Amino acid sequence: MQKRTKKGKWDHIKAFGFFIPVLLVFTIFVFTPFFKTLYLSFFEWNLISPKKTFVGLSNYIALFQDPVTVKVLSNTFVYILIMLVVNFIVPYIMSYMMAIMLKKGQNFYKGAIFLPYVISLVVGSILYLWILNPVSGPIGLIARTFGIRLPIWSKTDGLVLLILSLITSWKLFGYNFIVLFAAVNNIPKEIIEVAKLDGISNWHIFKDIVTPMSSATGIYVLIITIVQGLQQGFTPIKVVTQGGPNYGSASLTYQSYHEAFTLYHIGKSSALSVLTMVLFMVLLALEFYFVERNVYYEN
Amino acid sequence: MKIKEHQLGLHFLFILTVLVLLFPLVYALSNSFKTLNDAFNNVFSLIPREFTLQNYIHVFTRLDFMRIVGNTFFISTTVTIFKIITSLLAAYSLVFFNFKGKNTLYFILLSTMFIPFTVTMIPNYLTISSWGLGDSLIGVLIPQLADVLGIFLLRQSMRGIPRSLIEYAQLEGASTYNIITGIVIPLIRPNIISTGILFFVNSWNEYVWPVLILKTKSKFTLSLALQMFISSEGGTDFTIAMAVSVMTMIIPITLYLIFQRYILDTFTTSGVK
Amino acid sequence: MKKKFAVILSMLMVALITLSACGGGSSQKDATTSADGKIKIEYWHVNAETQGGITVDELVKTFNESQDDIEVVAKYNPDMYKGLMQNLQAEIAAGNHPAIVQVGWAFLDYFSNNFEYQDPVAVNEKYDQEDPTFLKDNFMPNILDLAKDSKGNQVGVPYSLSTPVLYLNRDLLKEAGLDPAGPKTWEELNEFSKTIKEKTGKYGFYFQEPADNWATQGLLESNGAKFITDGKATIASKEGIAAYQFWADMVADGTALHTSWDEGMQSFVDGNVAMAYTTIARRESVQKGAQFDVATTTSPAWEGKEINIPAGGCFLGITAVDDEQIEAAWKFEKFLYSVESVAKWTMGTGYVPPRTGVDTAEDGLKKFYEENHMMKAATDQMDKVVPWASFPGDAGLQAEQILLDVRDQILGGQVSAEEGLTDAQNKINELLK
Repeated sequence: MQKRTKKGKWDHIKAFGFFIPVLLVFTIFVFTPFFKTLYLSFFEWNLISPKKTFVGLSNYIALFQDPVTVKVLSNTFVYILIMLVVNFIVPYIMSYMMAIMLKKGQNFYKGAIFLPYVISLVVGSILYLWILNPVSGPIGLIARTFGIRLPIWSKTDGLVLLILSLITSWKLFGYNFIVLFAAVNNIPKEIIEVAKLDGISNWHIFKDIVTPMSSATGIYVLIITIVQGLQQGFTPIKVVTQGGPNYGSASLTYQSYHEAFTLYHIGKSSALSVLTMVLFMVLLALEFYFVERNVYYEN
Repeated sequence: MKIKEHQLGLHFLFILTVLVLLFPLVYALSNSFKTLNDAFNNVFSLIPREFTLQNYIHVFTRLDFMRIVGNTFFISTTVTIFKIITSLLAAYSLVFFNFKGKNTLYFILLSTMFIPFTVTMIPNYLTISSWGLGDSLIGVLIPQLADVLGIFLLRQSMRGIPRSLIEYAQLEGASTYNIITGIVIPLIRPNIISTGILFFVNSWNEYVWPVLILKTKSKFTLSLALQMFISSEGGTDFTIAMAVSVMTMIIPITLYLIFQRYILDTFTTSGVK
Repeated sequence: MKKKFAVILSMLMVALITLSACGGGSSQKDATTSADGKIKIEYWHVNAETQGGITVDELVKTFNESQDDIEVVAKYNPDMYKGLMQNLQAEIAAGNHPAIVQVGWAFLDYFSNNFEYQDPVAVNEKYDQEDPTFLKDNFMPNILDLAKDSKGNQVGVPYSLSTPVLYLNRDLLKEAGLDPAGPKTWEELNEFSKTIKEKTGKYGFYFQEPADNWATQGLLESNGAKFITDGKATIASKEGIAAYQFWADMVADGTALHTSWDEGMQSFVDGNVAMAYTTIARRESVQKGAQFDVATTTSPAWEGKEINIPAGGCFLGITAVDDEQIEAAWKFEKFLYSVESVAKWTMGTGYVPPRTGVDTAEDGLKKFYEENHMMKAATDQMDKVVPWASFPGDAGLQAEQILLDVRDQILGGQVSAEEGLTDAQNKINELLK
């Protein structure tokens, strides 16, 4: 259509044109609120009072001095770490087992493993609250026939983090598994057959051939697992523990919600949100720098 | 012989995984047919002592269920379609065009994934209600028309398309529209589908934002209906909550089962080489 | 041309956004008057289906049918009074005003400090010429006073009234050879729990642990402690510490269960805990689920001391701003407080009637009480009700939170009641300065 000489200019316009829908939505519903949040993080305000008090950096200073911030930060990393193991490493390995090693039943397993993903985490949380009730749930009752009193996990530091991240993982496992499976399954079988004939162990095939060749999808799952650990983990915290015991299960997202909507400390909550974003931006930049350039794209 | 044991071990692992993952679903289903009394006192048995439809009847008499399903479906489908289209365009631009500040733009967009949702909740509520869209389905879906995750996933997959293929098509005089619909979409269809599933399911189960926007019962979504049966002060009516849960699951599960073959087929025969 | 795909799409979205923005313009007007010219008011409540949601719908329907020019729309807010307060914050910030809202007692001072509301007694006088003293005639002064904030303003009218009672699993008590009437004092309750644990291996007692300190206040103040004295936290008195330590000790030796509210109540209802101290609002769900001989008894006392239990539930606040809306709100509120409506409310929820004349009236609750013995414990102790400790000022909500944080620390055994409460008290008083 267009003349070759004008092509460069056209492309530029088109390139931006294609971004208009996304930018439109984002400007109104993400960027503007974010800048507003940034602005509010320098104020003390309760959302409805006509009086906003400028407090400079004191919201940030308060956060840095508050031991709760440290606790919440380390909780968040524990959540993410557990979810990286359960929702990234395990399904990666299992997708290899299924794509390369397993001979029969693939379709059944795929279908069944994916199912929990369609369920809401609110439902999941209520269900697990019953199933895992250490006194009255099925597991608690079984344990008791052996004379064991299970710890009350929802009130036990550490354990509460593990169980809550398992609840979130339960839902998300299937999706990550299917996506990773598709990537692993797309690797030309001949390459793997050859490697097998050469007597290379499954572990080495996985590590040296499969992971590099599926790394584009791998990165995707890695990043969404981190995002999910940060964002989706909110639901079970809200339904089951409300951040307790004594902030033992609060994550950054939950804490930001708690400050804003339980205590109406809009300024402090805003500051925490800004910090959260900055922190993860740094992580993302590191990922860009160290990982992205080593990713294998098939061209 | 060794290979057989090997397979047996694998099957054992996968069956165990399936059991662990599906147990809660079966538990929900079985409790939705129990009386409350039965649910409390007959914890182990997945088969109700006295089979009852009372929970479902209660939900259907209290709620205009078909309407609620319709609302949820309308929101989720609209959101999914728009998110896919907007993400597809942006991803195409990121991969196949060169422009100044491209990487910066991408980086900024990606970082927004890490903003706690509390940041956008109130300002967006104010925007939506200043547009007069409080208590409306449109108000629920408008802020969700674009999604970074989609851009991210589709960009990842488009990078697998050989550039030469696109350049060749351009030389042949194909329009961008034709390139997108004729080359890009077919090549990355499995990724579009998996992104679509992600969007649909997330929107289907969204519960914080609709609570803020919707007031009238006739406009409720499924996850809001579920919350009507959860109360901290009066206690959660577990069996009724399970009946609602089962009903919230039914549609996504059915959709998945219908399209499963197709979805899994596209996954396995995808032409990205 | 098709290549302008992106442009078309974005134009479509702009159109969708503007269209909906404009389309909304007309619906905005609907917020106050509906198409048929009726005055439309919003009633915000927290009543889930298990907690009176059905009755709310019934009451609203009856009212709307009786009115030619007012239409009430009920909005359900999940996550209790905290959830309602969140939504209300957003709604007011957006410039909209529901007419009547349920406000939990813990939010009394926060609500009066931050929201525009109408004094119900003044509204009664101004808008109801026929019956200007309705509130004064039909409410006991001590009950109306529950809805006065720390400055003495009448912020609303008590609506859902609950008190904590002791639920008993009589079968377990009998099995352990104990008096099925249950303990009368906390000291006795401790002995009972020990016996139950020895004889049956089950937990003796569960004390509710929701996201508030309502029942805790009852435990401590019955021992002579005061949460607030002259606007300052005084929870860490000798009596307060002793009562809290008593609870923590029961948890520590395994006779009492320390867990979340829902889990704890599940364990009571399925027979793993013999006694539970929680709100009367749970009566129906306990009754429906329990397979054993279940009963309630009044709050235990500390030996030789007076019982002081805080009122739970909520009051109704009028947040309407213009005359027409306020008048309509009053009409609806008056309807909600009629003998008939209050009786329905009690039957549907288990809340205790806030006004007089309902208990004995034939169209009221006489028959209901005769059939529901479990309600008796709650009505019997109404004379011992004190206001919910609502910390004054904007820091009030945070003060409440500090007490919740310390609850987990004390019951988890990380700190003693003395350390924990003293520390919490200092923090709160620092805030309230």
